[in-house]
Amino acid sequence: MQKGFYSGRWTYAALVAPILVLIFLFFYVPVGLAFFWSLFLERPFGGGSQFVGLDNFARVLSDAEFWDALKRTAIFMIVAPSLAIGISLMLALAADRGLRGSSAARNIIIWPKAVAGASIGVVFVFVFNPFLGIFAPLNEIWPGFWNPRIDGTDAFITIVVAQVWNGIPFNFIILLSGLQTIPDTVTKAAVMDGASPWRRVWDIQIPLLTPQLFLTFVLEFVGTVVEAFGLIDTMTEGGPGGATTLLIYKIYVDGFKAYDLSGAATQTVILMLFVLIMVALQFRLEKHVKYER
Amino acid sequence: MIERTRSIDIAARIILIVGVAFILAPLVIAFLTATLSYEQFVRNGGITLQVGTHFLDNLAYIWTETALPAQLWNSIVISTLVAAIKCAFAFTATFALVFFDNRLNRIVFGLTLVTVMLPLELVVITTYQIVANIAMPLNWILALTGLGEITGLGSDLRLSLLDTYVGVAAPIACASTSVFIYRQFFLSLPRDLPKAAAMDGAGPWRFMWDILLPLSWTPLVATFMFWFIGGWTQYLWPLVAASTPDAQPAVVGLARLATTEQDRIPEVPMLMTGALFVSFIPVLLIAVMQRQIVRGLNLSEK
Repeated sequence: MQKGFYSGRWTYAALVAPILVLIFLFFYVPVGLAFFWSLFLERPFGGGSQFVGLDNFARVLSDAEFWDALKRTAIFMIVAPSLAIGISLMLALAADRGLRGSSAARNIIIWPKAVAGASIGVVFVFVFNPFLGIFAPLNEIWPGFWNPRIDGTDAFITIVVAQVWNGIPFNFIILLSGLQTIPDTVTKAAVMDGASPWRRVWDIQIPLLTPQLFLTFVLEFVGTVVEAFGLIDTMTEGGPGGATTLLIYKIYVDGFKAYDLSGAATQTVILMLFVLIMVALQFRLEKHVKYER
Repeated sequence: MIERTRSIDIAARIILIVGVAFILAPLVIAFLTATLSYEQFVRNGGITLQVGTHFLDNLAYIWTETALPAQLWNSIVISTLVAAIKCAFAFTATFALVFFDNRLNRIVFGLTLVTVMLPLELVVITTYQIVANIAMPLNWILALTGLGEITGLGSDLRLSLLDTYVGVAAPIACASTSVFIYRQFFLSLPRDLPKAAAMDGAGPWRFMWDILLPLSWTPLVATFMFWFIGGWTQYLWPLVAASTPDAQPAVVGLARLATTEQDRIPEVPMLMTGALFVSFIPVLLIAVMQRQIVRGLNLSEK
């Protein structure tokens, strides 16, 4: 870190105090409490807590529903970000060519960023409705072809599509601005060597985009774990038969519907560790990636 | 450059058209459906390209018969609070981190870094506990030190922030991403800036207020709008923190309208009108201010 100019201690304290008080109260205390309740059991019928060691973890880890939810979360974490980033990459490469009308396209592609998952979930429920939605004509030809209310896979697909729709803008912005910082000289040199525009996509643009691709993957991984909640709650409520119950939704149901504070806190701790391990793994991966330009 | 780009340009154009169609499809379907009356909708029996004449009637219904207008106001207040807290707190803290020589810099930076990696939604359960009684940490201190007994305060103080604007906004404002953005920006400024200010007799406060703040206008405005939109689209936390319709933001209100009427045929045109109603402010903001937002966030820095 660069050495600062000022040195007054009290001024320093006054400047950093607001954010520290805020994140202490509303971030660190909740995180600490989650760890606390994962080791304690709330006494039924009023107040108090009882230390139970790792019993909560044993209970959660022996619950098949927990493992199912974790497995679905992992699948969702791989499928949705891959699609969102892959599509965003193609769109960014296309928009970067600066064709006529592409600035309008660029503007529209960002819009979903401003639409809440829960709001677009309400719309997608209707769009994917088996009798009223876009697949209704297909259902008339092949009855039972599409029904997210009964078929778990169909329901999972609807959540993925909605998540991808919501996730495109942010990845698109990051990747497009990454493309725009690729120095002109590199492109020109490649042209001199006779590299066609198609060739340059593979050999210049995508390799030089590695830092941005890495960034989008880290952010999407963390994002999809929690953003899916608004979609699940408005589209499937975890069903059918738990097919779309990701861990974040299960924690909500356990904590706020079943009032199982310790169980929900324990799963929260596990999910936090899961996210942190994922992020750490990705940063380890980053070390093997070369960024030199 | 003169070269043959026909094939790639055609491909690029197709990709953009398909992409824009995918983005617009649910919005267009929502809008078309919102222009229909319920009878028209039932007669059509599904999605059609018909543009009805009932959009204003549906809007009037949303305006007079649902809680959404009041909840739209809640959304405005909560999102503004979120954006203001995020920008102001991060601005002063980042000023300290970059321009002050203090041993705590690393620790403060590390503490804000963690908030970015663990989103609020992960810890709603226990965030709910603390917001339900914000005096909880004080009670711990009173109980541990015995001060509660001495002063007669006890250790069971209660102050709930549930169903209040601050209670909903404060936890959302914790993710300190702004610190990174401002830090990157401050580090790009000339290093001798505070020295020059000091020669003119300006102390740190004066420097921050009269020099740094005007210089930072672009990133500040961009982050403010970005966090405003971010606050607006929150769902899980406002859902648990605001239990009464009076305190809920619009997105939660819409979802309640959609999910509590399950048993009868859903009034789809009304719901679609509601979805557009709760989304138009942030979408308009991002459509009009996009250039400022993207540039100000400085996402292109290497």
